Formats: sequence, C-alpha cells, structure tokens
Amino acid sequence: MNKLIIHKMLLEEIRLNTSFASGKGFYAFPILVVLAGLLAVLFSDEIINDMGYSAFLESCHISILFYGVFTGFLAFFGNDFLERIFGYLGLIIGLPSTQPISQRRMTMLYFIKEIIFYSIFTLVPALIGALIGAYSIGLDLINVTKFGLSLFLSFTTGLSFAYLTSSLYRISLPFAISGGLLLILTYGFLFRNFQITPGLDWYLNGYIEMLFIAMIVPILISIIATIFVHENYEPKVMQKIGYKDRLAEYTKKFEWAKWMSVPVIVSKERIDLQRSQTGTKMFFSFAFPLGILTFMNWFIDKGLPIQIDFNTIFYGVMIGFFGTMLYSWLNTIDSPNFYSTLPVTVSEVIRARLVLFLTITWWIPLLFMALIAYMSSEMNLLPIGIVVMIAVGIYIVNYTAWTTGLRTNSALFDAIIFIKFFFVSVPPMIAMTILSLAINHKPSVILIALATICGFLSLMSIFFYNKIETRWKTEAFD
Amino acid sequence: MSVISCKALSKKYDDVLALNGVDLNVEKGEFFGLLGPNGAGKTTLLKILTGQIGATEGTAEVLGLDVEKDRLGVKRKIGIVPEQESPPSFLTPREVLEMVVAIRETENPEIEWWLEFFEMKPLEGRVCRNLSRGQRQKVMLAAAFISQTELLFLDEPFINLDPIVQTKVRDWLVDFVKEGGTVFLNTHMLENAQRLCDRAAIIHEGKIQSLISLEKLNQQKMNLEELFREIVL
Repeated sequence: MNKLIIHKMLLEEIRLNTSFASGKGFYAFPILVVLAGLLAVLFSDEIINDMGYSAFLESCHISILFYGVFTGFLAFFGNDFLERIFGYLGLIIGLPSTQPISQRRMTMLYFIKEIIFYSIFTLVPALIGALIGAYSIGLDLINVTKFGLSLFLSFTTGLSFAYLTSSLYRISLPFAISGGLLLILTYGFLFRNFQITPGLDWYLNGYIEMLFIAMIVPILISIIATIFVHENYEPKVMQKIGYKDRLAEYTKKFEWAKWMSVPVIVSKERIDLQRSQTGTKMFFSFAFPLGILTFMNWFIDKGLPIQIDFNTIFYGVMIGFFGTMLYSWLNTIDSPNFYSTLPVTVSEVIRARLVLFLTITWWIPLLFMALIAYMSSEMNLLPIGIVVMIAVGIYIVNYTAWTTGLRTNSALFDAIIFIKFFFVSVPPMIAMTILSLAINHKPSVILIALATICGFLSLMSIFFYNKIETRWKTEAFD
Repeated sequence: MSVISCKALSKKYDDVLALNGVDLNVEKGEFFGLLGPNGAGKTTLLKILTGQIGATEGTAEVLGLDVEKDRLGVKRKIGIVPEQESPPSFLTPREVLEMVVAIRETENPEIEWWLEFFEMKPLEGRVCRNLSRGQRQKVMLAAAFISQTELLFLDEPFINLDPIVQTKVRDWLVDFVKEGGTVFLNTHMLENAQRLCDRAAIIHEGKIQSLISLEKLNQQKMNLEELFREIVL
C-alpha cells in the first residue's frame, strides 16, 4: 500500500504543479536544470581557481543542504499558502482525517515522495548535465557521479531538517525553535572535526564509514521527526472578535490613489494585510535572504584572495530585488475569487496591490537599508542606496505584476516565465552590483552611470505598469 | 423580452467538453431553474453568462449586452451568488456589504436592513474567515441582493442555510420576481426548484436535454424529480 500511496502522491504533485504552471513550462524545468549542471561543470575550473577546490565543494554542499531545507519547508508549510490562493485544496496527506491511516505513516510517505520528486525533477537532471559537461572536458565520470551522490545525501539531510522542524512546529512554535536549535547545535558538535556534511567528508577522504554516516543521519532525523508527528493535529484558528469597521475610513485615505485603482479595493487589500498580520511575515522573510546574503559576503571574503566589500549600494540593489517577495506576499493573503462576482477587473486588483506595495510595505526595505548602512558605517551612501533600491524595486515589482498577476508564486514555477524573469532581472542587477563595487574608484563617473541605469529602470517600470492593463483586464479571477 | 439568450454555447477545458452547443432564452420576470447532476455543466454555463469565464464557442447576451465583449457591463447589471461561499476572509460582513455597494455605486444601499434580514447583527466585529459555511453563505447572498439589480444568478444558494433562512430567502426571491425581477437558479435541490421555478431546463453532459414549464409538467401529472430521473438515468 505504501508504494501505491507514494505513486499517487507523485501523480498529485505533478498535477498540482502543472495546474498552476503550464505543462510545457513545468516539464521544461528539468531541461533548465540540465543546462545549469552542464554550465557548473564547464566553468568549474575558473571557479576553483578563484575560490579554491575545497571551498568550491563546500559551497556546493551548503547550497544543496539549504535547497533541501527550503524544499522541505515548501512541502510541509506550502499547502497553507496554496489554500489561501486557490481556496479549498484537498491533498492526499490530509487523508488521515477521514480514513483509517495514521498521520505518522502518511507524513513519512510524504517525506519520501518529496525526496523522489525533487531527485527526479532537479537532482538527476543536474547530474545528467554535469556528466555531459564532464565528458566534454574529460573529467572522470565516476568521480562526478560520486560527487553527485554525496550532494544527494546532503540534500536529504536538509530535507530531514525541515521535516523534523515542521513536526515539532505542529506541537508548538517554542518546541520547533528550541528543537531546531538543538538539532543545529548537535549536528555542529558531532561534525566539528569533519567537513560540513558527512557526504562531503566521504567524497573528499573516501572513508566508507562516512558514507554510512551520511546515509544514517537523514534516516535518523526523519525517524525522530516521524515519532514527533502529532496524530491529532488541529491547526490554530484565529477567533478574534471585535474588529472595528475600517473600510470606509481606509477608502477615504486612499481616495488619492484612484488614478491607479479603485480606492475601496485598495482599502480592502489594506485591511487584509493588517488583519492577516502578513507585515510581520514579510519582515522575517526579508531577514532570511539578507542573512544568506551576509553569509555569502562573509564566505566570499574568506574564499577569494582579493577583498570585496559589498557596500550599502549593493545591498540597495538586493533589497530592491526582494521587492518581488513583498508583492508575492500580497498575493498570498486571500483568495481573489469574491471579486469575480463584482464589476472589477484583475488589473484593478493588481494595481491596488501595487499601491499597497508603494505605500504600506515600504518601511520594511527602508528599515533594512538603514540598518545595513548603519552597521557598515556607510550612512553617507544611504541616500544613493535608497534611490537604487527604489528604482530596482519598482522595476522588478512592476515586471512581476505584469507577468504573474495575482498568482506570483505559482507562475514562477513555470520555467518559461522564470527564464524571462531571470533575463529581465539579472542583467541590470549585475551592472549595478559592478558599479556599486567600484564606487570608491571613480565616484562621479559611477554615480552618473548609476543614475542612467536608475532612469532606464524607471522608464521600463512605466512601460511594464502600462502593460498590466492590456495583459490582465479581460482575465478571469478563477 | 429575453434577458438572457445564448446560442450554440460551448466550453472546452483542455480535453473536457463541459458545455456542448447550448441554446437558451430566459424571459424577463421569470424564475428559471437550471437543473442537472454533478458535473453536468450548470456552473460552467452560469459562469459564462455572468462573465466570470469566456466561452470557447457561441454567443451569449445578458440584458442586451454581449457577455464576451462587455463583461464588466454585464456584472454591473446583475447579482451573482457563486457556487462556493467565498466572501473576503479578513472583512466583517458589514465591510463586505460596504465594499460591494461602493464598487457598484448602489444608491441608498440598505446595509442595515440586509444585516438584519440575514441575522448578521450578532456577527459584527467578526471577520468572514471565522464564520461558519452557512454564515458565509448569508454574506454572499446579502452581497448579491443588496446590489438592487434586476437579474440574479444563483448557484446552489440554499446550500448550508438553516431551514428558517431558506424559507426567508425563498419568500424574498418570490417577491423579487413578482416585482419584475428575474432569477436564474442553478440547483440540484429539486424540491426548491419545484416550488420556485416557472420554467426549468435539465442539463446533462453539457447539453440541455429538456426545457419545460412547471405548469405544463404539473398538467402532465409529473414532477421535476421524475423528469430528472427519466433524463439522467
């Protein structure tokens, strides 16, 4: 029966993905991953020359470990978001509520399904790409396969971390935080004299017992996670009473925005944002990638022979880019289905959310910018950083709104949309990053160049904004 | 005078033909029922007629407007209760009604009256997310009825309502039709259709299989359930 359930879960996962991305887009994703694997191997010599051999391998394992954690969290917490966007969503993992099968068993099978699904759609294609690359430049294919296996083991370790944390979270939040910390500390302590993951240690040193440990660690963590799965989990339901009627008040406040959208829609979206407490979630979702960015900054400083100081302008570029996340959060608060009963267009709702992005959530990136400038003692660069952040933010958010509408997260699963997004976002970011790093060499020239790019991005923002109407006016909310 | 008319209306979802060449006319002042088993195409037809989705083929006119060309114009003139009770999660029932009348620019909206009618006064200060399904359905009905339109499209409006509210809604709808309004009712609760409708169509596998006036059906000493069984089984 386990085999049957896993098979059905895999079918469900594929159908779920193809239902919110186009089938072509979804199946094109592994091809994209094959290309990424191929390029990673083709350019590995240059990267190793820059970073050093062990630092390169380490960064691969850290990335795949985080990838495992990320996909795990997406799997175990993502359904809540999907329900908010699409309304009711019944998944096989929810069967124990009506069928005589334990939640423990079902969650364990779900975890196994995750490993299989991500292996088939990302890890195996990456390995195929890497093997093609290795063959073309004459690398040892067995060695590359061995490295692929070590990466797979690190991936399962990351996934099992997420599994355990989510099991503990269903008991209580403090349990999840303390359990997660304990897990990290225990892991750090046990492997303090080894490589960052046992899989990497096995690959580098060849000790068979490390391969054994690399396999045992995710199995052990997932067994503990399964034991902690709560059989009778009841999701917390917000039952607050006493909300004041704010619609009329906010509608008046947003009267000025009627050239962009309908004030009462902006007001409704504003109330959604406030009552769902999404602002707090937005804040913490900013902290996470910025933490990774700071870690990368530290890592590159450590790995590269030359000193690179990412300054406040660089962070302005990055924080502006993270504006996509804010817009995406605005799309996860509530299902837009009710609008389909009213004389309202999808484009009006998109523009209402853009008004909120510009007026209500601006404090989050600004706060991070100010904090980073202060911590780096670069308050003099803060005004330029803010201008850059605003230009990049408005550019990327308008593009996201135009291409993904009210379904940002699911649309970005579509490989075709994702590739376009990549090509629109990455070149200006690279240009601005390079300029930001060179600011101390020829400040006046760099400032003119930055101003030119900001001006260009602003013009493109207007172009994208105007496109929203034609792209989404006649679309259905369903 | 026809308030709803459609010709050769079809809708295809990938490989599934949900509607297959539907022709239909509904007259002003009619209480019209669209009946059919699950998956027959009732909701798809209602969604096309209300401009929520587009048809693959065919034409539809509602209150003299081409639905495909003027979806917003149609929505302005009609009230809709969709199949799923999905009022905005984080608004209170009063705020939902305030939003609806603001968007529709309804003159003299009777928010208090409708809150009273659906016994929603005790729900003040609670957001729709925390209401029961029946309470959310009341919000959806109030949002459609408050719009003061002359044509209502209702998709299973009685689901989840308690018997007392069902009676109130039925009575209100009968009065609404008496005063010249038109109702297009999607349901498989045949008892309600039998009681309320002047005319009914039975749709099965995307096609209208039967279109009959309830008066004629009574003359033939048949009821809707018998006709339904005859067609569907």
